[in-house]
Amino acid sequence: MTERTLMGGNIAIAEGAILAGCGAYFGYPITPQNDLLEHMSQRMPALGRIFLQSESELAGINMVYGAAATGIRCMTSTSSPGFSLQQEGISYMAGAEVPCVVANIMRAGPGLGNIGGAQGDYKQCTRGGGHGDYYLITLVPASVQEMMDLTMLAFELADKYRNPTLIMADGFLGQSVESIVMREPVKKLPDKNWAITGAKGREKRLINSFEMNPLDHPKRIALLLEKYERMRIDEVRYEGMRLDDAEIVVVAYGSVARAAMTAIKMAQQHNWKVGLLRPITVFPFPYQPLSDLAEKGCKFIVAEMSSGQMLEDVRLAVGSQNEIKLVNTYGGVPLTADQIFEAIDLMI
Amino acid sequence: MSWEIAISGFGGQGVLFIGRLLMEAGFAAGQEVSWLPYYSGEKRGGMCSCFVNISDERIGSIFITHPDIAVAMNPDAYAMLEPDVKPEGLLIVNESLIKEKSNRLDLKVIYVPMVELARELGDESVSNMIALGAILANAPVVTTSSIIKVLNQMMSKDSAQLEMNKAALLKGCEIS
Repeated sequence: MTERTLMGGNIAIAEGAILAGCGAYFGYPITPQNDLLEHMSQRMPALGRIFLQSESELAGINMVYGAAATGIRCMTSTSSPGFSLQQEGISYMAGAEVPCVVANIMRAGPGLGNIGGAQGDYKQCTRGGGHGDYYLITLVPASVQEMMDLTMLAFELADKYRNPTLIMADGFLGQSVESIVMREPVKKLPDKNWAITGAKGREKRLINSFEMNPLDHPKRIALLLEKYERMRIDEVRYEGMRLDDAEIVVVAYGSVARAAMTAIKMAQQHNWKVGLLRPITVFPFPYQPLSDLAEKGCKFIVAEMSSGQMLEDVRLAVGSQNEIKLVNTYGGVPLTADQIFEAIDLMI
Repeated sequence: MSWEIAISGFGGQGVLFIGRLLMEAGFAAGQEVSWLPYYSGEKRGGMCSCFVNISDERIGSIFITHPDIAVAMNPDAYAMLEPDVKPEGLLIVNESLIKEKSNRLDLKVIYVPMVELARELGDESVSNMIALGAILANAPVVTTSSIIKVLNQMMSKDSAQLEMNKAALLKGCEIS
């Protein structure tokens, strides 16, 4: 199938989940992800799958926990304030090694904030977010096509690692419409030899996130940490544009990466050597490629719609020798190509 | 060829809808497209904008700050858009609500009494379609027939609503 169709970003996440074999969706409405839930409310029952609008985000994530423990692919979606409410459930699922997909279509915080798109949940998404030692693979789409593709990938990675996996997108991208190529549905879902499916004729299985014995718990955590280490090695994803001879590298993700592409095109008209490194995963973060660019003497511009949360990761990758500048907006205001171009112009 | 289009007005004036029509027609013509709504929390009466890219290349920014084509449906939209339209660009002004005149000599500015024209047709709510007609009459972004094709697909056949929208579109083309 290569036929193109027009689709909204949030809808592409919903359709990507359906293609990936998502059997149950639970969620609670919040702008700017409402059309995702609304779309699921029509599509899932029509396919004979489960849709349930929960009474709160807290209930929704716990429904995901319960349903996913039976082995079916499950998801929820929300936006920043709702995502905060889901942290307890996500931490439990990480502790219990139950896979699921959570889409966080970010709006401006803190608190109730504003419905404008933002990227202020970066730290929350990349550092676990809830209590305890855990991490979640966090995929950051920059187009409607990637909203679909990365959602499908998220279900694969969730099952591969038995871990909740995040789609983190800003509200602008969620509400935008672009043309996409529809993907083929996933035909075979993985076997789950840990799922709660009824113990008749086999050993019972227990899924929980609790260890009574204080000596056993560190062993359990060590296994989780080993898993996160494998993610760091195998699951780093990013796209580079014009990096070969770049003197300045813009680091941006989501809709800001799109503005950065335009800014780089503007810089090209001046024959300036500017490239883009666009993380596709922010956990695990592409530290190594950035560190390699730093070795080559590049300067860096971090462009993001937050106070400078990804900036910290770029600093970790680059160190203190190379110049790093932040260009940002916050509070629900889009970051424009002009602003990124101005930052490039100042650095040249 | 790339077109960056910004349309802005009150929520309820049909800003998002005509942006959607432009995007659908551009897509039908085989172009790369993007459509981005931008609005505040109010359902009606708040500021509402729509940004549409139609291009034969991969689209960068989905947010548009220097449009080739801008439509100002109310005074706030005019204040926001008028200074930032690209040189040689097109600015369509809803003269019914905006009393200001642009001093920019590097623009093609078209003043259209959208509300009065829509009222003459019998429905004030199609002033957005008058604006769309004004775009089509002044910039070869997509064809009028391709917009009508999209309208035919979106609205039920032979309905009064479909006919009213088409009439307003053609009226906008005619008078501009």
